[in-house]
Amino acid sequence: MQLKALSSRKFIIMGLLPAIAVYAIFVFVPVVWSGYYGFFNWSGIGAARFIGFDNYTEIFRDPIFWTALRNNIIFVLASVFGQIPIALIVAILVQKDGKRSWFMRTAVFMPMVLSTVVIGMIWQYIYHPQIGILNFLLEWLGLESWQRVWLSEDYGIYALIPPLIWSFVGLYLIIFIAALQNIPGEIHDAAQLDGATGVRKIVAVTLPMIKGTILVAVVLCISGSLKSFDLVYIMTRGGPAHATELLATYMYNSTFTSYRYGFGSAISTTIVLVSLVLIGISQWLMSIKSKSNQ
Amino acid sequence: MAQATTAGAAAGDSTGGLRKLRGGVFWTLLLIYGILTLYPLYWLFLSSFKSNAEFFNSPFGLPQEWLWQNFTNAWESSNIGRAFGNSLIATMGALVITLFISLLASFILARFRFRWKGVVMTFFVIGMLIPIHSTLVPLFIMMKQIAMLNTYWALIFPYTAFALPTAIFVLTAYLATIPKDLEEAAFMDGSGLWGIFFRIMIPMSLPALSTVIILSFLHSWNDFSFALVFITSSTLKTLPLAISNFADGYQTDYGLTLAAMTIAVIPTIVMYLAFQEQVMKGMTAGAVKG
Repeated sequence: MQLKALSSRKFIIMGLLPAIAVYAIFVFVPVVWSGYYGFFNWSGIGAARFIGFDNYTEIFRDPIFWTALRNNIIFVLASVFGQIPIALIVAILVQKDGKRSWFMRTAVFMPMVLSTVVIGMIWQYIYHPQIGILNFLLEWLGLESWQRVWLSEDYGIYALIPPLIWSFVGLYLIIFIAALQNIPGEIHDAAQLDGATGVRKIVAVTLPMIKGTILVAVVLCISGSLKSFDLVYIMTRGGPAHATELLATYMYNSTFTSYRYGFGSAISTTIVLVSLVLIGISQWLMSIKSKSNQ
Repeated sequence: MAQATTAGAAAGDSTGGLRKLRGGVFWTLLLIYGILTLYPLYWLFLSSFKSNAEFFNSPFGLPQEWLWQNFTNAWESSNIGRAFGNSLIATMGALVITLFISLLASFILARFRFRWKGVVMTFFVIGMLIPIHSTLVPLFIMMKQIAMLNTYWALIFPYTAFALPTAIFVLTAYLATIPKDLEEAAFMDGSGLWGIFFRIMIPMSLPALSTVIILSFLHSWNDFSFALVFITSSTLKTLPLAISNFADGYQTDYGLTLAAMTIAVIPTIVMYLAFQEQVMKGMTAGAVKG
């Protein structure tokens, strides 16, 4: 094509510049800056004082950091072992098109489009110790002994798991249905001829066929767990007594409640590093995927 | 109901009937799961019409009297109306800028050959690995220094930046599949590159734009963390931020708070029900690519 005229060079630069500029200024530069500010003690007013790695040693000695990291890992595990099995079972049962399947997909996916603020607040009402519908329901069922303060130091982090699963399971359902519908019909016919039906067919034929998609879903669960700031902030603010803190709420609480911008920058950088480690694990999982496809 | 018919069939034929019965049991379980999934929303809508007394005394029942004034009170006594407008401005601002600059960049990445193309693509891929929350503190510091905090731009630019990579990947992939005849003909007719972009590329990419519009709209409309950190002025608060503050302020007036929450979710639910297939496709594509 003749678009390689003299004017096209200018056009290429002009056309790419806005996207690259916005992206660099609002995504790349901040991350580099937080790496730099992480070495300073700075309250936002006055001069920043260089303190070397002091912020980082403080982070690694802080028990709240380790609680937050542990909670992030709990969220990853809950996503992988909660969302994926539920989504897989429902997907296998509703993969054929039809009214009932349409209803299930519509219902399960619905929370994906809702604001996390509203989701968090609805679940706060569900868990409320005095007026919450969960405790009402337990009383109605005669299970008063099961009633408790759900968002407490002991149960809080586990009570956050149902809303987490509820909000994202629809995404995995749609991904799995798409993968199941992509399995060629001949495979089902061959399985039929070999006498594989029901659960045996699912384990021996269906699951191996969508192994790659399941690994993609695991990777999504890992990266998704780092994005759960909103839900936890709305429901518990990371409390009580920091029991439900995630890395992101730990960063928010340390930075904006005590004006420690240097320390907060160091936590931001730590979050980037932790997510790079998690991405490394994901890549390793994906390399298993590509081997298994050969 | 489904069970009754399958039970009748089971009496007739043994193995086929057994399978149908099992199918009926599965469907009943699925239906229960589906209803459980929708229950929190159903509860929200019903409770938003209740008085405080009813909210306590019959948490599961229908409202005896549908209190529409919960909605009018919520709209008037708080800044929900104002917040609705703010959300609309920030979301639409980000949407327009995202569409324009991602289309322009995708046109170039899909249609031109130049040396740095791979570098530009890698630049956007690497950026997608950066977790959004790790930019909150440095962006706050930066915006404070250039006095951008508490402006619409403090939201529009970050929303745009985080919508860009997916938008560019979706649009570039789509534009690469369109035959080049049309734009070659237009070029022969003497159209400039900008002319080709506006008169041919934008209309042709409309099918792929729906994905980009849905993703960008939902992310910006539902965002909480950027608004929480960058906006403190009460006149600029977006809907999610205003709702969360509203709940803190009116803790004891439940009908009012729940009405405000309902107002916040209705636009996204309407959009979802109207464009269901596109929303599902768009969000899964966005997640898998992101």
